Amino acid sequence: MTGRVIVITSGKGGVGKTTTSANIGTALAKEGYKVVLIDTDLGLRNLDLLLGLENRIVYTIVDVIEERCKLKQALVKDKKNPNLSLLAAAQTRDKSAVNAEQLKEICNKLKQKNDFVLVDCPAGIEQGFQNAIAGASEAVVVTTPEMSAIRDADRIIGLLNTKEEITSTRLLLNRVRPNLIKNNEMMSVDDVVGILEIPLVGIIPEDTGIITSTNKGEPIVNDESSLAGQAYRNVAKRILGEEVPFLDLDEPKGLMARIKNVFAKLKAKV
Amino acid sequence: MEKGFVENGFIINLSNSKNTNQLVYELSNIMEHPDVRGKHVCLKLGGIDLKQSQLLSIKALIEATDADIAFIDTVSEQTVAAATSLGIVISKMNDEIQHENVVSETPEGEPVVVKEELITEEVPAESSEDSEEIKETENTEDNQKVVEVSADIETSQYSSPNPINTIEGVEDTFTEMSEHELSEIIPSEHFENEFERLAASEGLISNDEISKYILLDTGEVLPQGAEEHSSDTKELPTLYLNQTLRSGQTVTYEGNILIIGDAHPGSEIIAEGDITVWGILGGIAHAGSKGNITSKVRALKLNAIQLRIAGLYARRNDTLNVPYVQKTNEFTPEEAQIEEGKIVIYKKLRRD
Repeated sequence: MTGRVIVITSGKGGVGKTTTSANIGTALAKEGYKVVLIDTDLGLRNLDLLLGLENRIVYTIVDVIEERCKLKQALVKDKKNPNLSLLAAAQTRDKSAVNAEQLKEICNKLKQKNDFVLVDCPAGIEQGFQNAIAGASEAVVVTTPEMSAIRDADRIIGLLNTKEEITSTRLLLNRVRPNLIKNNEMMSVDDVVGILEIPLVGIIPEDTGIITSTNKGEPIVNDESSLAGQAYRNVAKRILGEEVPFLDLDEPKGLMARIKNVFAKLKAKV
Repeated sequence: MEKGFVENGFIINLSNSKNTNQLVYELSNIMEHPDVRGKHVCLKLGGIDLKQSQLLSIKALIEATDADIAFIDTVSEQTVAAATSLGIVISKMNDEIQHENVVSETPEGEPVVVKEELITEEVPAESSEDSEEIKETENTEDNQKVVEVSADIETSQYSSPNPINTIEGVEDTFTEMSEHELSEIIPSEHFENEFERLAASEGLISNDEISKYILLDTGEVLPQGAEEHSSDTKELPTLYLNQTLRSGQTVTYEGNILIIGDAHPGSEIIAEGDITVWGILGGIAHAGSKGNITSKVRALKLNAIQLRIAGLYARRNDTLNVPYVQKTNEFTPEEAQIEEGKIVIYKKLRRD
């Protein structure tokens, strides 16, 4: 079996790469697929916190690369879902401890035995980013509807396009606030898609539940009542190839119509 | 006064307990009685002060026998606060019990069961006179009318050959005790032996130790080539650091390490000898990194994500997986060491 290696990246920090990785990973695992999450943010790891696995980490990716342990030993199983495991980043090292070739090798090894390998990319476009995308064949670019995040996402998409190995780059629009869009205070979904011109894989509404879920170490996809959780579950389904309509983000008519409009536009382009 | 009714209820009167210790002991004895299974337990706690963690443990104890807490009756404000925070209903027992519902006698001093019970919802005391009146009537009539369910330690024939089944989470709940806890847990003479045996078999509590960490695995954190040995850490040199260790910082030393300051989560302290943190230890600590099993880790507050001593490692319980450390002015120093192949944490109230 050869799994899919998907890198989750953004360029800008704080737009929700790690939250997205944790939630998509958990959602895919809930669907019954074997998923490994790799945290490549060396020195500033967070993914373990979001999954509540911090206390279980003994070996990190650096230990694997420096051959202090076997790859299997370093994989931390999720508390709830045995399909999900985490390869944590080292907290006490920096990006230079790993190079692109080594990460590629780890990804290749992991995809032999897993359906999905999700790589959580650090912010920036330097070494850490280059490492993270090395083994990937697909990318999810996370952005928020803000000019700065979009600018950075644009830059990232440009860089991703130069990588031949990456065959698909899709957009995940995070922290969308429908009421702001309605008042023209925030860029709408089709504005963003219009600028970035890549297919959309998900729209995640702003949700205060994310904060609690982060603090508790419990991904929000496990919360059936949360809208953001539902949105992430839908993203997972779209990654699996299902056609799922985008959520109606509590906005009468307009948004759905607009999203449909976006898709009509996209199809026209393709 | 609106009247409530608890179906399949069961009153346990613990209001005569002098301390938490005795209360837990009596309760655990009562909970072993088969009649309690699946009941909605109404707890009479009297004036005893319970903390949230203690109440949570009591709840866990009750839920271990498929029963649950219907409500508690207490006059202690602290207990009320604890119960409120745990979402436990607080209510007052009604004195007027329908007699046909009461099974008033069972032979041989076994706990007496009140099958069904009328209760009244607590009425917020609008005037102090009112509430006093209620208390008075309770005090006078209580002992005569309400059948008390309590296991008399001295006379009871009913003693348990089997310890109560431990349920998951019981250990967890007890670890959240505050520093004050220990002085309260120290058993009175009368109960000491029995309580210790019981608590130990439960893995609940003991009088001067709380094993806070679940042991996950052995032998794996020792680097290749290192072997387990025991040598006196007093002989080793000591690295003295007067600073706060922040996330990502590592201190490694071939002797003991003494840190005056906190070690934040994400930091690592690796010493071949002992590790002492005069502050909150929140990161990873590895004492005896070359296999010295007599090494110890001590800190004013041991909140380490992971504790490693020689080849053993223990992780912090998930229920304690709080991303931040609450700073207080009161600390009970804690010390971790290897005992019978496990990492055990002691709270040090005094130097022995």
